Amino acid sequence: MGNVSNMVARIPGLIDWWSTGEVRLMSAKCNSCNTYFFPKEHYQHRPGCSREGVEDVLFPNKGKLASYVIMRYTPPPPFKFEQSIVPYGIGLVEFENERIQVAGIITDTDLKSLELGMKMETVTLRMFTNDEKQDVVTWAFRAVK
Amino acid sequence: MRDVYIIGTGISPWLGFSEQVFTNFGTVAVDNALKDADIEWKQIQAIMAGIFGWGGNAGLLSGQYQESVFGETGVPVINVYNACATGTAALQMAYNSVASGQTDTALAFGADVSPKGFFAAKTDDAVQDRDVIRWKMVGMPNPVFWALECRKRMAKYGTTEEDLALVKVVMSEYGSKNPGARFKKAYTLEEVLASAYVVDPLRLYMICPVATGAAAAIVTADKKLISKADKPVKINAVTMGSAMYGDPTIRIGVVSCPAVPEAPLLSESYSASRQCYEKAGIGPEDVEYFELPDNSSWHYLVYLECCGFCEEGGADKMLRDGETKIDGRLPTNLSGGFSSHGEAVAAQALWQVIECANQLRGRCGERQVQKKMKVAMAQTYGVMGNSGTTILTI
Repeated sequence: MGNVSNMVARIPGLIDWWSTGEVRLMSAKCNSCNTYFFPKEHYQHRPGCSREGVEDVLFPNKGKLASYVIMRYTPPPPFKFEQSIVPYGIGLVEFENERIQVAGIITDTDLKSLELGMKMETVTLRMFTNDEKQDVVTWAFRAVK
Repeated sequence: MRDVYIIGTGISPWLGFSEQVFTNFGTVAVDNALKDADIEWKQIQAIMAGIFGWGGNAGLLSGQYQESVFGETGVPVINVYNACATGTAALQMAYNSVASGQTDTALAFGADVSPKGFFAAKTDDAVQDRDVIRWKMVGMPNPVFWALECRKRMAKYGTTEEDLALVKVVMSEYGSKNPGARFKKAYTLEEVLASAYVVDPLRLYMICPVATGAAAAIVTADKKLISKADKPVKINAVTMGSAMYGDPTIRIGVVSCPAVPEAPLLSESYSASRQCYEKAGIGPEDVEYFELPDNSSWHYLVYLECCGFCEEGGADKMLRDGETKIDGRLPTNLSGGFSSHGEAVAAQALWQVIECANQLRGRCGERQVQKKMKVAMAQTYGVMGNSGTTILTI
């Protein structure tokens, strides 16, 4: 996880690790059609919605694993990781009350232990160090032990 | 609206990466279509071009670049991009131009040069282009999206690795008989199951590669041209679909999806196909030949269901029972599919239509369906909720 005070998200506006003491994804909720968006600008209103009352919200830290795959190749740029982490998982984690699933890297290295329905928590994952010696992170998921 | 017929088709055979420019391939395809239709370039009254997404300004204006090769005639040239459904969009515009009477004869074409390897991000601007998020933050080439859906399918319907491998076995059997196919080896189940995982549960031979290729079709309502054409094929309907609210598919280019379905999986293709059935007055029970977008083995299975050829979860049985083979109830992808060709984005949807037309015109040699067929359907799939369906009759 690295030193939290020296962390920067590779793309801002997606991950919050400072507001609540937990790592949480930054979403927006439409109070008219009751739809949650991620990223928050990825508007997905119900047809006919007035689109009024969209507010920033955070997803809960924990959800359940709705699907997963195991990556055997490193993706091409602009994906960037200091070292190869292949093989690794990518999962879809479901936030039940928000009725949404979000994709993210799975940090668990015991890939055989992955099971649909298992409880997952949101974490930050260091991808590389930038020129300012900051840890550049993304969001990721790991099984709740 | 007037009846519109395809009187000429042409392709430039599918290849891997090429150093050549896309218009060279487009020229081959358009030339072949002109010869097939037995008309001259000057008889083309409108050009509907698929945009070549990796070609910069030239790719965005592919129709103008292609027109200049054959000689500029001042006709309308319109360029369109709908991801892998681009070719269907070009065909629909050509169809509309002719059906409405704006023109009598129009050309639809697309040409694409493979960008090599996985498709990657086109910009570096995550604010303007949210597609950047999936690349930078998760690292999700397209097969990751397909594998995520495939895992769900395996859990929900019991699709097995053998089923996924059988798709490639069947595709490669027909690809090996298609002189135009890029991959001509017929694979056994064991060989497919021994291929390396790219993104588990999908192995190398369960995913189509990217490709270089071009396709062109000439459509007309001119009775003289129709009567002199070799087995003209009628376009009963050509429709485009977009996604519907609550579609649970994890859509390429996006890192989230609804958890509670309120629309069908692949709703853009559900929408395109249902519009096509309605406009054509032809239902899935009438379709005798089908080309579907087998980007992966998962697509092959799910598209049989999405387009209404069996109930949800029933495609594995259709495949195992041989219903999609050359002598089955619904011969499917006897071209060998994308699995044997790869996807050339701007061209592939038109290529699917041409494969359908070739079956109806009895031009498929060893892989020609023997029973006499009247109705064929081509179905596409594209990034970010793009899809198109074409129903043809002879």
